Amino acid sequence: MSYIEVRNLTKTFTVRKKREKGRLFREKTSVRALKDVSFDVEKGELVGYIGPNGAGKSTTVKILSGILTPDGGSVTVGGLVPWRDRKEHVRRIGVVFGQRTQLWWDVPIMDSFTLLREIYRLREADWKARLDELVQRLDLEKLLSVPLRQLSLGQRMRSEVCGSLLHRPDLLFLDEPTIGLDAVSKLSLRDFLKEENRLNKTTVLLTTHDMEDVAALCSRVMVLGHGSKLFDGELEELLSRYDTARIITVRYDGEVSLPALPEGCEARGEGGAFRVVYDPAAVKTAELLALLQDAGAIRELTARTQDTDRLIAKMYREMEL
Amino acid sequence: MGRAYRAVFGMRAKMELQYRGAVLGGFVCQVFFGLILVSLYRALYRGRPQALPIETVASYVWLQQAFFRMLLSSDNDLADKIRTGDIAYDLCRPVDMYRFYYARIAAQKLVGSLLRGVPMIVFAFLLPKGWGLMPPASPLALLCALASLTLGLLCVSAMENITMGITMRTLDPRGVQALLNLLMTLMAGNILPLTLFPDAWQRVLSFLPWTQMLDAPIRLYTGVRETSSVWGVLGVQIFWTAALGLLGMELWKRNREKLVLQGG
Repeated sequence: MSYIEVRNLTKTFTVRKKREKGRLFREKTSVRALKDVSFDVEKGELVGYIGPNGAGKSTTVKILSGILTPDGGSVTVGGLVPWRDRKEHVRRIGVVFGQRTQLWWDVPIMDSFTLLREIYRLREADWKARLDELVQRLDLEKLLSVPLRQLSLGQRMRSEVCGSLLHRPDLLFLDEPTIGLDAVSKLSLRDFLKEENRLNKTTVLLTTHDMEDVAALCSRVMVLGHGSKLFDGELEELLSRYDTARIITVRYDGEVSLPALPEGCEARGEGGAFRVVYDPAAVKTAELLALLQDAGAIRELTARTQDTDRLIAKMYREMEL
Repeated sequence: MGRAYRAVFGMRAKMELQYRGAVLGGFVCQVFFGLILVSLYRALYRGRPQALPIETVASYVWLQQAFFRMLLSSDNDLADKIRTGDIAYDLCRPVDMYRFYYARIAAQKLVGSLLRGVPMIVFAFLLPKGWGLMPPASPLALLCALASLTLGLLCVSAMENITMGITMRTLDPRGVQALLNLLMTLMAGNILPLTLFPDAWQRVLSFLPWTQMLDAPIRLYTGVRETSSVWGVLGVQIFWTAALGLLGMELWKRNREKLVLQGG
């Protein structure tokens, strides 16, 4: 039996439409946020959960964290049903919502951590040891006596993560944890999460739009669209499906006009600099290079794959999301 | 059990202590209103004296002003949490939401009104007779009033937790708060001392929830209600506290069942 088992999960929300003219009551429509989603997650796995806005990612997380009750299907996490055995279940999970805060705005963050100790009824010694560890690893020492409102976003997110891990959860939900963070904060947060997973075998479910997060943290990725699971497997495999195009950037000495390129090549640029996008399966790379070389004296040439965001956008388009 | 609720009570109390500027502002504002109201009733009395002595009316006004903070729904922080969806964090804690928020609301009301009320009572005592606050009718009356005030705090917290429960559905606290605050200031005797209402009205009003919060303890303090009738007064207060509490719990339970969270 897997640590997390999700079977045929469905959830429909009733949304009230804007009242139409001449009608007394607003009409209601239902939105199917999840239709028949199933998956398993093993203990200690780091899973990325991606999909466009409104795909049902947050709904899944809210069901898994016991906040929402689904309409159909079954879920067990470590043998517990989140919404039925809620109190017992939530004691074992930690949640980080990147766009929300759990710490108190006007009081020092240390007070919020103390409140969490009481909420989770932790033993003083356990709490202290864990707090010291997290404070050291997340570099929070100097911030403990500072009210949350005075912290930068990066400092705040580190504090939020600390708050979510104080009770040593087995399972951690991260909902866009790096949103709005600068490069340094992002990198250090990713390193921390990887370490946490390695040291404490914490199972992590990460929902994000930042593909770098997924690439850095998760070997496995699930794609959700319109409430259905569209892909479940390794990130490499997902990318290789859509990662067909290659990009060659070429710069010549002086002005050059490009010759006619084979069908399937897309060239952009003018003067001495061009960008050619092509599919190696359709166009022979050797042929293309020969044509480019004949056009003039090449000063500089780079070849690369498309960036991940573009691939994901392409994937969403092809999946009609 | 109870650790989490005690802790959130302490935390909210501590937070309330941080807003010293608001306390000073509230104090000045309430003094201003108190003076205006007392002058108004004094002018009224000069034209047509009432059966109830002016000293009692002035005391009623000052005690209402002193604990004004307790009446109004004012935990904006909590309402904002519900509106923005930050409440999601509280929903995945191993606590009972109703009790968790009840403790929080009670702390804010207790500390918020003590911070304003104590200086206000001292100030009102220093005013000349007929303007200010008179001493309690008897030591026993003071004791009864304190017991009744405690129940008043529990009752008003239960009522505000219902407001919060409704806010979880409407997602905007302003409408329901504005309505309830209007009812509250009027029916609890904050605008007009209820002791000046016709007797028949007073009898009906005294059974409504709003009079349980401040009107009941003030009547005991000023001796308008004899200490011999204290059990009747406390009995009605206990009834409403329990009724509003049960209603609130049911509302929060249903909220959890049909919950939609805002954003992301």
